[in-house]
Amino acid sequence: MEREIIIVGLNHRTAPVEVREKVAFDSSVLGGSLRRLCSLPSIQESVILSTCNRVEVVVVAADEQTAVRDIKNFLAEQECAQGLGGLDRHLYVHSAEAAVRHLFRVAASLDSMVVGEPQILGQIKHYYVAAHEAGAVGTILHRLFHRSFSVAKRVRTETGIASRAVSVSSVAVDRARRIFERLEEKTVMLIGAGKMGALVARHLQRSGVSSLMVTNRTFERAVEVAGQFRGNPIRFEEYPRYLKLADLVVGCTASPEVLLRREAVEQILKERKQKPMFFIDLGDPRNFDPAVHELDNAYLYNIDDLEGVARENLKGRVGEVHKAEEIVGEEVTAFLHWLGSLEQVPTIVALRQKLEEIRKRELEKSLGTSLKELSERERQALEDMTSAMISKILHSPITHLKRQSEEQDEARYVDALKKLFDLEEK
Amino acid sequence: MEITLLKVTAVVYLLATASFIVYVVLLKEFFARLSPVILLAGFIIHTSALGVHFVQTGYPAIMQFREALSFYTWLMVGIYLLVQLRYRLAVLGCFIGPLAFIMSLAAFAFAAGREEIPPALKTYWLPLHVTLAFLGNAVFALAFGVSLMYLLQEYQLKSKKVPKLYERFPSLETLDRLNYLFLVWGFPLMTLGIVTGSMWAGIQWGKYWSWDPRQISSAITWVLYGTLLQGRIAGGWRGKKAALLTIIGFAVVLGYFLSGGALFPSRHAGRFE
Repeated sequence: MEREIIIVGLNHRTAPVEVREKVAFDSSVLGGSLRRLCSLPSIQESVILSTCNRVEVVVVAADEQTAVRDIKNFLAEQECAQGLGGLDRHLYVHSAEAAVRHLFRVAASLDSMVVGEPQILGQIKHYYVAAHEAGAVGTILHRLFHRSFSVAKRVRTETGIASRAVSVSSVAVDRARRIFERLEEKTVMLIGAGKMGALVARHLQRSGVSSLMVTNRTFERAVEVAGQFRGNPIRFEEYPRYLKLADLVVGCTASPEVLLRREAVEQILKERKQKPMFFIDLGDPRNFDPAVHELDNAYLYNIDDLEGVARENLKGRVGEVHKAEEIVGEEVTAFLHWLGSLEQVPTIVALRQKLEEIRKRELEKSLGTSLKELSERERQALEDMTSAMISKILHSPITHLKRQSEEQDEARYVDALKKLFDLEEK
Repeated sequence: MEITLLKVTAVVYLLATASFIVYVVLLKEFFARLSPVILLAGFIIHTSALGVHFVQTGYPAIMQFREALSFYTWLMVGIYLLVQLRYRLAVLGCFIGPLAFIMSLAAFAFAAGREEIPPALKTYWLPLHVTLAFLGNAVFALAFGVSLMYLLQEYQLKSKKVPKLYERFPSLETLDRLNYLFLVWGFPLMTLGIVTGSMWAGIQWGKYWSWDPRQISSAITWVLYGTLLQGRIAGGWRGKKAALLTIIGFAVVLGYFLSGGALFPSRHAGRFE
């Protein structure tokens, strides 16, 4: 039985956002859609991925042409319900090796709009689980998706693709991690309610920072922002008193004068027994005295510094992509190997069964007639000997068959074996 | 037999070093796991070499300078492996690996020759003294390693650069905490080392303290580390300052240890004429 992995889909490169939105699968209808897809006779297994940058249908099917046509119709229905025509030109189709490679690249975030962004893996896992729960996943997609998760993990740990922060907020978090051991135990003070400040604060919170203080010239605004972050609002006149409690200080005000001078920070550090502090200056003009950075145990990065690091990192990613592609290549080969061996398993089993049957039949025949006189021990010896013979005979064909799956003409061997031994499925 | 084992040890330490370097350059997680295992293999062979010596001579391998150096390396690697078990600091191995290799190589540079142990030296104060002093010292070697890492990490944060080589360095806080941890363990061991040393000196030389260069250098280091420890506990000394002091202290110890008393002849040192 032929089984092919096929992917039909569209992404941020092939389709504009309006089209992607129309085709997207809402989580409320996902289960129903999966079942509908699986009820098509051409389709054996399926997973639907639907993020804001891509919609992809991954299936296992016996006949590629029929399956592709069916999936296209299925997607067109989805889209037609929303009233839009001409979907076909946005769609791409991958099958066999190309499909496996495509999924691995997507999971490893090599196909993302921002290469290396980490969210995609979580999204794929989510959609895999949904398909699994809907009963749409079988042996092949199960293995394919689990392999894709470990490809993503390998790419993340073995290349710098994901470790390099490329946005201001992620560089800020990355720097914080280089200074502090556990962000979970750290406190952030956010001075000012600027948009950039809130963004960085949110990123820090997502990375584990638990405690947050917010201050602003208008106290109401501080209360409002603190509410969003479940932090503590602090009156602007009082915030200097609380500074010594903060490990990270984010400044994002439009204050014309500098808020924190070197001397003040020196004093705070003394009170903190020199526990390190990280200052992030997003203000325009600058909120913190640049000389703060000269102090031991104080680190000051302003927005230009953060952007500079982000730019450098973006440059560094290019080389990492190449490494990641190599990993994907290795894993594709390994997966195809497994898929190939799946094909031979029934043949090997059938061959073994056939020979075993012959052995049993012939042995019984002889033991019942010409060898009737044999003692129990002799019978056992005969049994062992014939078994060993079968194993010895089978050893080299099976080894060859297994090795063959690494090469191209495995199908011919499997075929030949079936014909020679009359192994057609009953 | 013992020498062969030591040679194998040196080769395995070299392999571990190479593996650690591959890890830092390529950042392949696989090597972060592999390298300590290679080092452990070296450690086991090293242990058996020391065991063979003990069985053959009935005395720990600390009588000659080369033996002492080898014993010291053994302790250092052992402590690192314990730390690795708890803190997963493969990067630290990049400092310990090469150090272990160079020191086991250096041990061969010094003349072998089975000297008869003077009967007067056959007291158990000596192995006790050497073990304690070396243990303290080996812990300081690790403190030295993390301090060096601290300075590198600190430098790159201050310079606002991101060299790829430091990608897997632990955070400043982690390194600083380890510096403190090693200090807290190393200092009492060193103190005990000095005390047992004077006890032994009292027995051998008739005087507990004789302003021998070796004693003076230990005293300097002891005061240095003592001050640092007290500063850390009471005065909030940490970070760069602590790292620098640790490095200086270790340089004093190592400098004297490796010069083997050549610059300032001592009754202590490697040979026991």
